[in-house]
Amino acid sequence: MTDAQHIAQDDLALYALQALSQDESAAMREHLSECDVCQAELARFRGDLAMVALSVDRHPLPSGARERFAQRIGFGSQATKLGEPVPIYREFRSSRAGWVGWAVAAALLIVAAGLGFEVRSLRARLLDKDGRIASLEASESRAKQVDELLTAPTAQRIVLTAPKTPPTPSGRVVYLASRGELMLQANNLAGAPVGKAYELWVIPADGSAPIPAGLFRPDAAGNGSLVLPPIPQGIKAKAFGVTLEDAAGSKTPTEPILLAGSVPENGE
Amino acid sequence: MGDDKSLMERVRVREQQAMAEIFDRYAGLVYSVALRVLKDSGHAEDVTQEIFFQLWRNPDSFSSARGALATWLLVVARNRAIDHLRQRKPGEPVDEVVVASATNVHSETERGIMMQRVRGIIGDLPQEQQRSLQMAFFDGLSHSEIAEKIGQPLGTVKTRIRSALTSLRKRLEQ
Repeated sequence: MTDAQHIAQDDLALYALQALSQDESAAMREHLSECDVCQAELARFRGDLAMVALSVDRHPLPSGARERFAQRIGFGSQATKLGEPVPIYREFRSSRAGWVGWAVAAALLIVAAGLGFEVRSLRARLLDKDGRIASLEASESRAKQVDELLTAPTAQRIVLTAPKTPPTPSGRVVYLASRGELMLQANNLAGAPVGKAYELWVIPADGSAPIPAGLFRPDAAGNGSLVLPPIPQGIKAKAFGVTLEDAAGSKTPTEPILLAGSVPENGE
Repeated sequence: MGDDKSLMERVRVREQQAMAEIFDRYAGLVYSVALRVLKDSGHAEDVTQEIFFQLWRNPDSFSSARGALATWLLVVARNRAIDHLRQRKPGEPVDEVVVASATNVHSETERGIMMQRVRGIIGDLPQEQQRSLQMAFFDGLSHSEIAEKIGQPLGTVKTRIRSALTSLRKRLEQ
């Protein structure tokens, strides 16, 4: 298993995977406790395993998981009751049949109370939806205004920077997932080499593959924009990124990521 | 929102808000790994809750000397899920897990892009390497169990798994 000095690579990989027997692992642990070289190589294999783990499909946490954790660490009083099922019946045992009726009545009362709570909860959610729709309409109207501003032929573009400070590339995305509408304004980008173009990517919140959202080449001043590129509707995004790709575009993003930004949790 | 290092510093002084932010940032990732191994949402949540609760109870189990928090959690999630699957005691204390990776997966964007890259690379590996890696990593089988299952010598299984991991590393470093 070990040569004169170090553990064989094959065995280190298996140790990292915890795929060895207890006896084999114990022998290795003893060597590892004294060998920096093998410890470093083991850490590299674990780095490889982290990448394998990263390849799994993403799934949302079960409902109430966050509240259960918050409750466990004593965080946030409002979290304490969220996610807990509402009891709609209770176990009842009695030697007297008369108690059964009372127990059923009590259970019905609990069910009724539960339904009342549900109705109030649904009303609150409807009000919340109304507010959200109004907010989206306001956002859309504003996006239209911004769109007109950015695409107006007579609009002037002025970049302000601190004197003698190299300008930092930046970008701003306005995204309306429900309509599949998006606008990007990027500034201070280096010119794209011949045969290359910048490409914007939508990173979906459900963990599926990044979606290409348009190619652009910045002008001489480093400014570039994308206005309403064709993208699918209803994609909830968790982030956006810009990479440099071949001018014809790419199916998957190529590193490095030149601009990146996460969607705020309360964003669409 | 702070970076992982400053959040962990706040966790060490028992700031619950910081721990909640770490949970929000990585619990989905940890849960997804556990679910892939255990194929049961209840058990996967148990593993997820336990990993983050242990981190809260003993923040010193992780330090930046043991790697980036994201990659460390990925390895711990997989190992704990396998322990759960095999109904055994934790095979290795979390504070002994050191992860070295040159890959940056701090942001959601980087993780999303890296996920696609890793999938592509694994998909390019020879079928027999993919199968052995899958059986060892996600099914938690030992090398002798894999050898028995696929009818190949132990040495072949070992080499396939090591080759799969080193190929992945080399391609990611390109």
